[in-house]
Amino acid sequence: MRMGIAMDDSLLEVKGVSKTFGGVVHALDDISLAARRNEIVGVVGENGAGKSTLMKILVGVYPPDKGEMYHKGEKVPFPKNPKEAAKRGISIVYQEKGVIPWLKVYQFLFLGHEDKYVKFYRLQTDEMKKNARAILDELHVKCDAEVFMHELPLSTQKMVEIARAILSVRLESEEDGTTPIIILDEPTAPLNDEERRELFSDLLKMKKNASFFFISHIIPEVREFTDRVHVLRDGKLVANYDFSEEKIAEEDLFRAIVGRESSEYISKLEVNGRRSKAVGLTAKNLTKKGHYYDITFDLHEGECVGVFGPAGSGKSHIIRTIAGIMSFEEGELIVKGQKLKASELPHMRLRKGIGYFSGETGKELFLNWPILKNISIVNMQKILGKFIPVINFNAERKMAQRIVHRLRIRAPSVNTDCYSLSGGNKQKVSVGKWVERKPEILLLDDPTIGIDVGAREDIYEVLSEMKKSGISMILVSDDPKEYSILCDRIMFILDGRIQNVLSPDEFRKVVGT
Amino acid sequence: MKRSSRNRLIPPVIIRTLKNQPVIIAFIAVFVMFSILYPDRFLSLLNLKTILRQFVTLTLFAMGPSIVVVTGSLDLSYVGIWMLGGVLVWLCMPVLGLFSIFVILLLGVTTGFVIGVIQTKAKIPSFILTLSLLVTYWGLTAKLAGGYPRIVRGFEFITAPLIPYIPTTFLWSIPIIAAAVFIMKYTKIGTYLYAIGSNEEGAQLAGINVDRYKILAFTLSGLFTGIGSMILFQHLGGSTPVELKLNTLVWPLVAIVLGGTPLMGGSGGPQRTILGALTFTVFYRGVYLSPLHPYSVQLLVGLLLIVSIIVSARGLKGVTIT
Amino acid sequence: MTTRPSLSWEWLRRNMTTVGPIVFVVAVVVGFQMMNPFFLRYQGIISLVYSMSYFLVAACGLTFVIMTGSFDFSVPSLLKLSALLCVLYIEDLGLWVIPLALLACVGFGFINGLLLAKFNVPSFMATLGVSIVVEGIALYLSKGFLRIMDDKAFRSLAITFIAGLPSVFYWGMGIWLISIFLAMCTPFGRRTYAVGGNLIGAVLSDMNTVRHRIYVFMLSGFFAGLAGILYMAQMGGGSVEMGADMAIPLFASVVAGGTALTGGVGGPHRTLLGVIIITWIQAGMNMLAIGRDIQMVTFGLIAIGMSIATIDRRRIKIIK
Repeated sequence: MRMGIAMDDSLLEVKGVSKTFGGVVHALDDISLAARRNEIVGVVGENGAGKSTLMKILVGVYPPDKGEMYHKGEKVPFPKNPKEAAKRGISIVYQEKGVIPWLKVYQFLFLGHEDKYVKFYRLQTDEMKKNARAILDELHVKCDAEVFMHELPLSTQKMVEIARAILSVRLESEEDGTTPIIILDEPTAPLNDEERRELFSDLLKMKKNASFFFISHIIPEVREFTDRVHVLRDGKLVANYDFSEEKIAEEDLFRAIVGRESSEYISKLEVNGRRSKAVGLTAKNLTKKGHYYDITFDLHEGECVGVFGPAGSGKSHIIRTIAGIMSFEEGELIVKGQKLKASELPHMRLRKGIGYFSGETGKELFLNWPILKNISIVNMQKILGKFIPVINFNAERKMAQRIVHRLRIRAPSVNTDCYSLSGGNKQKVSVGKWVERKPEILLLDDPTIGIDVGAREDIYEVLSEMKKSGISMILVSDDPKEYSILCDRIMFILDGRIQNVLSPDEFRKVVGT
Repeated sequence: MKRSSRNRLIPPVIIRTLKNQPVIIAFIAVFVMFSILYPDRFLSLLNLKTILRQFVTLTLFAMGPSIVVVTGSLDLSYVGIWMLGGVLVWLCMPVLGLFSIFVILLLGVTTGFVIGVIQTKAKIPSFILTLSLLVTYWGLTAKLAGGYPRIVRGFEFITAPLIPYIPTTFLWSIPIIAAAVFIMKYTKIGTYLYAIGSNEEGAQLAGINVDRYKILAFTLSGLFTGIGSMILFQHLGGSTPVELKLNTLVWPLVAIVLGGTPLMGGSGGPQRTILGALTFTVFYRGVYLSPLHPYSVQLLVGLLLIVSIIVSARGLKGVTIT
Repeated sequence: MTTRPSLSWEWLRRNMTTVGPIVFVVAVVVGFQMMNPFFLRYQGIISLVYSMSYFLVAACGLTFVIMTGSFDFSVPSLLKLSALLCVLYIEDLGLWVIPLALLACVGFGFINGLLLAKFNVPSFMATLGVSIVVEGIALYLSKGFLRIMDDKAFRSLAITFIAGLPSVFYWGMGIWLISIFLAMCTPFGRRTYAVGGNLIGAVLSDMNTVRHRIYVFMLSGFFAGLAGILYMAQMGGGSVEMGADMAIPLFASVVAGGTALTGGVGGPHRTLLGVIIITWIQAGMNMLAIGRDIQMVTFGLIAIGMSIATIDRRRIKIIK
């Protein structure tokens, strides 16, 4: 692993980029990276590592606090807005919401640059269509220039977005023949396996027209399709790999991305509680085309099963299907001897005993509510009066205080609005309501994303206790350490299929934590 | 063998158009139905002329709002512009003479601009904003008119008959409608408005100044409504502050939705609205000629609105609707 | 360790939606009182009570809908329908018209909710469409004529005087108190706040959001029906012209009280303030012989102004 790469023939290079938000949060700390002509450079890291901040700086959305930019070896100022960045040759394809569904392909391709095709206020659509077809051919994008964007398959939509980015550079840049540098922000996130493969083969063909910054946290893809990769962690550049020069294993990349000093996880939490033979949930051949296939497993009482895999492997989809957020097409899902309907709302799943907790607190927490209301919303039955369905405020308050105490939530009172809590405490409130609810099966979807170590420990402790009391769990996370702390068994998922089931020890060996 | 010969009978182009614009089927169905039911009254020259005239009125009021609906917002201020504009004309007649008709245009453009600015800067939902504005204008109209309908004379020349059998308002409306369709289909502005309606965030990311174009959409709406009101001024009686009837207020919206412009925006537009207005007018006239009580007509209009919205809102799974 | 809130600009800004309406009410009362010292005389108060009570009932129902982030345009029309049903069928059905009217209104409320929750029709359009249908039915039933209600039992609902105030006042206050109770102390109320506060969060919790949203519209319809009954009982007669321009003042009174369009905040307790503001402004303007036209202007401006003031901009990035 080497820290710096000598760039003689670099197309674009940045050195020493730093950015803080609000003077406190170090989003980026002394980052340097570079791209040569006609290469695909990967930029990887966990959520919150700083990837999108860095890209936004490159494309002119905001300026860095410190840093220098070099274009073809010459020092240039950072662009002040996306149009300037395009003049410099830099343009970006966003992860989502970049496509306008009801525009035709040729309209979308030239969106923002219509001034080049206007005569007496009228758009020269024939010429636009002709040029559109030309660039689609050149970049091997197989689609009709006159259909609506939403009629194209997802991977083709992405390709058109990339074509648009390249086109932006060509139309805006002052010198001819600038090689565009296209930033791809998690381009494969919305795609299924087949679409992903198509996208990559098309991308490789495009290499001779442009250079790419490929942001991702899908390790196998990065390994296979990028020439070099920069690894970011917590705002710092921690590794550079050049695939042409060394053989890098996936585990090395994993470690670079995730690696924390093991001493930070102090307590030896008792993971392998007694596992009863009783089965809480059975999945048989669960299939949803394009997402996961033939998922079969049993979940016992008091057991925690981890569903592990690189991003895009289908693990999130599986857990969301069990939660009721997604539906499955084939197979069976059986809880307490009852077959569940393939397509059911989350609250129905909850009635059957399945609770779902997602670490993205924006989604499920009621931020303008006080803590106690957030805890009680799924625990209404516990705080109602005996004869009339009226809320017993005293009981509500006591319930919230119990949870606050147990999870060590730092807040002035249970009446504090969740807006003002820190990230970790928000997460605790979110977990807290499930701790109180005690569903028979708790689904954990990235439960500790982006929160500090102390909060994590508190949450792990409580989850362990819940496990001991007989609650089963399924865990999906991006942090391998979490799996080895919480899970009794870990299923390894790749391309939507279960590859292997590992014990925590085996898992640790494979992942290397 | 059989399939290819069937295809030759109905060219795929027509099938595709019918699939994209089911309103055409509705129009044909309604027209045929009433022609069969009341052949002498429905197909009479008088009735057809009335249909044309009512179609023109409806369309002129629907052009403006249909531009705004494409961006995903709603604009209910058209009746207000017409009422207040009328009263302002009456007030300005002594001073400006025949030029006072242009006051309506000025009012329309200003109203649209103000709505656009408030909507984008203060982030109020457009329906409540334009509804409140409508009510405000209605109050102002009543106040300025002093409580009586004020008749203005002198603008008959606008709608004086030119070609036999064809209402002059129809002739005036052709360039207006053409202009609206041109703007939406063939200019950069139109493309941007469709983009904003289809995916506002994506349009923003693509570098479009969304606020600016939304303001433009509202301003254009006011402009078209203003022009339409000018043309129809004498035709509709000239400056009568009307009762705020929920029923008639909603007709341009029905025309827009019926024509195939979804309320969420992104597609459709003035060209579709023309068809919707035509279908609605034919439908309304037909029902009017029928022995159904006039009050039941209102009921039918309401039902029509609901049904067309349901049909056009079908593809909205997963979007948060409030 | 809690910090005591100091009377700084920051505190004022954050609590504007609570402080604002109170200040407003005081200003209105004081203002009108100064202009006409007889404003708060007994007669004035009685007429205020009459205009306020049924209005309050309707506004409470609308409040629940707005709390969920939706809009119910059909409240005035349902009020009218309910009133008309009462006067038209009082002779045939006696006091059974009351459950009839209420049932009809709840039925339309159900349709509103269904259109929104199952058919994805935006609430504004759905309720607009329904209100047109309802008005059509009302027109058809009444044939446009003015009707007189002279059934003693029915009218006594509203005009029996108890302790110097007409019974309609007690109905209004009672229903208001029940609304507050419903909103604050029951799971139904909590869920209403949840749907408005964070729909995704609500879906992920153990409530059936589709069903709840339908219930909320049914509630709004029910209250509209109640308001219509009270209105007819107190007025003693009516035609289809009544309630034509009630929509904006109704809406204005809900937002003026501090319940935001974005949903999840406010509640019926706030709506009382809003109703007081609107009805008293109306009364004051009537007293100053300001025509209904300017009144409309005022309410329109208040509606716009209070919407701006109460919208929670933190939560919504894109408003159409």
